Amino acid sequence: MKPRRRLQRWLTGVAFLLPNIAGFCAFTLVPLVMSFAMAFTNWDILRHNLFRHDPLRFVGLANFARLFADTEFWRDLGNTLFFLLGLPFAIAGSLIAALLLTRVAKGRAASGPLLAVATIVLVASAAVLVVGGFSRNGVLGLFGLMAGAVLVAGLLSGGTAYRTLFYLPHFTAGVATFVLWKKLYNPHTGPFNTALAPVLDGVSAMVRAAPAFFTYGLPALCGCAAVAIVLWQENRLRRRWEDGEAGTAAIAAGAVTLALPLACFLRWQGWSLALALGAAAAAAGLLFGVTVRRPRPWGRARSIDAGLSSELSLALVGVPLLLAITGGMLAGPALPAMAVAGFEPPNWLGEYAWAKPALMIMALWAAIGSNSMILYLAGLSNIPPELYEAADMDGASAMQRFWHITWPQLAPVTFFIAVMGVINGLQGGFEMARTMTLGGPAGATTTLSYFIFSQGFETGRLGYASAIAWVLFGLVFVFSLVNFRFGNRDVND
Amino acid sequence: MTKPAPVSDRRPPRLAGVGLHVLMAGLSLTMVAPFLWMVLASLKTMPESMDPAWLPKTAQWGNYLEVFDVIPFLRFMGNSLVVAGWVTLLQVITSALAAYSFARLEWPGRDRMFFLYLGTMMLPGIVMLIPNYEIMVRAGLMDSFLGLVLPSAFSAFGTFLLRQFMLGIPRALDEAAEIDGASKWRIFWDVILPLSRPGIVTLAIFTFMGNYHSFFWPFVMMKTVDNYTLPVGLLFFDSEHGQVTNLLMAAVTMSVLPLIVIFVFLQRQLIRGIQIGAVKG
Repeated sequence: MKPRRRLQRWLTGVAFLLPNIAGFCAFTLVPLVMSFAMAFTNWDILRHNLFRHDPLRFVGLANFARLFADTEFWRDLGNTLFFLLGLPFAIAGSLIAALLLTRVAKGRAASGPLLAVATIVLVASAAVLVVGGFSRNGVLGLFGLMAGAVLVAGLLSGGTAYRTLFYLPHFTAGVATFVLWKKLYNPHTGPFNTALAPVLDGVSAMVRAAPAFFTYGLPALCGCAAVAIVLWQENRLRRRWEDGEAGTAAIAAGAVTLALPLACFLRWQGWSLALALGAAAAAAGLLFGVTVRRPRPWGRARSIDAGLSSELSLALVGVPLLLAITGGMLAGPALPAMAVAGFEPPNWLGEYAWAKPALMIMALWAAIGSNSMILYLAGLSNIPPELYEAADMDGASAMQRFWHITWPQLAPVTFFIAVMGVINGLQGGFEMARTMTLGGPAGATTTLSYFIFSQGFETGRLGYASAIAWVLFGLVFVFSLVNFRFGNRDVND
Repeated sequence: MTKPAPVSDRRPPRLAGVGLHVLMAGLSLTMVAPFLWMVLASLKTMPESMDPAWLPKTAQWGNYLEVFDVIPFLRFMGNSLVVAGWVTLLQVITSALAAYSFARLEWPGRDRMFFLYLGTMMLPGIVMLIPNYEIMVRAGLMDSFLGLVLPSAFSAFGTFLLRQFMLGIPRALDEAAEIDGASKWRIFWDVILPLSRPGIVTLAIFTFMGNYHSFFWPFVMMKTVDNYTLPVGLLFFDSEHGQVTNLLMAAVTMSVLPLIVIFVFLQRQLIRGIQIGAVKG
């Protein structure tokens, strides 16, 4: 190519890019460099204030040194990571929603009898409302009316109406819905506690009636469930290892999944148990090694991290489940003593222990019908039907079809959703906390982004805030790399 | 051994289908129950809003008018619409031009440039936010709509989304135009742009929604109450008159309503956009 034509092509290409690149330089590139520079200075917002005379200085790594010594930073990092624990629930919720929606869409269109029933419910509720007036007890009629309307809409649209309603919380999520949930959580007038109070009374009566079950039975049941899950997972891992579907890293990830709740359990029960359980773990590992029937030659292993994303995705669901079971084992014996006074509904946003879960429940509400659900819907429709047909020929049960076809086929989607969820979660939490709790109580809901805001714009230490932002960037970057390294390859598999 | 069931019988049986629909209706209702409470709470009188019962005795539709007396709600709404509208317009223009350059024009260094763009999508917005604040202070754009619009008018994500879309347009179309002697600009304007309309609509919805919800940037930028956008205004309302639950809920209802309307009408475009956007991996 002639150099002149080359130049001309370059000029044309860049000309189209120009408006974007100008803005890109002004509001991304320059700020990026500036932010990096600011992180090494004592830059302060009050510099615009006449009363401030401290000169702008280069402070080297002082901001970072201060940051790592700052207990507030570690607390907020911990809070941010704690909020990430909600992610598995959100993913599981989105997957279940997508599975249900797919099933509805595959079913027959509007079935006559059901449409009739729904219409009758609709008309009856409307009649109750009209006759009974907009009375205080009309709320049941109202719910009936709504349920009938949703059912009719769902039947007529072949399930699309359900998708719309599922997606609505995500679409509207913002300061407006945060303000709404703040009211829902109100301990005196909010609907949550109004509904919870009688339920909790029932539970405490139950605990008082059978204290022995909660002291011994519940922990025993949870223990059995834990053992069953551990055995199931061990069996599953061994099969995958034998089939060459999982490499060393995947096996290790699967094993860590099991060990994590165990570690939490030990943390609570004291280290005296550690030896016994450590021995048990070693025995389990030995068992794993001995029972592998066809040891795969090491040289032929496909790769160390084969199947890693699938294991990590499963771990996301497995860890909270095991943690819940561990919680049951720990909480059971303590319940009878607590039930004597009766259980009080929590003061959600005002209580240190409940503020985080409260925000997580709200986030879950907005996350179930989110983009993840849409991606799962697309993923589900992309699974070749032949796979299911072949499974039917072999007489596979619904559970087997899910674990052997649906779940592995969706693994790339799950992986993408999980990594994106972690990346967004690390940066998130500010709007929620600023609207609902102001980061409190006692810093329980202050995330890293809120910390950056309060250091930068409330205290005015923009240099320090920049340093925090760069540490946050480092965390996000690690997960982006994980995505690039493992995500793409699995999609291409 | 049992005989395998014919494949066509895999549909759920009728009764299971009924149960499934009832389950889905119940779940959907649970998802929208907070909105139901919101509307009902907005129709209560002030004393009634202290009462946990869901329904008001009589619906106080006047609450919605009263909101306008307590806060400049229409002003907030207008600010939000104007800011989101301008951002959307500018972002679509700059992104479409850049996407065309990346998708269709051959120029040295193009792919390296594109990867640089992709890389910036990984940057947490908060890193740029602090220096952008300083830039706005220096430029005298604090508390101004220009300062609110400008940083959001250029987007790597928009460029990426439209590029993905344009790559799907058959090349034969612009080659034919080129043989007819059309300039690159003509090809862009007359061939690629009209064919990218679904992608542009998707990007427009995304951008508009994102900026309608946007909170952090307007929150640190806007100092005068009259300049607040809706999210900042709602927070202001909550912190000033948070006890007036019924009016607060009326304001929340009014700010959520346009979203619901937009969503119900445009969900098809939106869902496609999510699927294109996720391919980035």
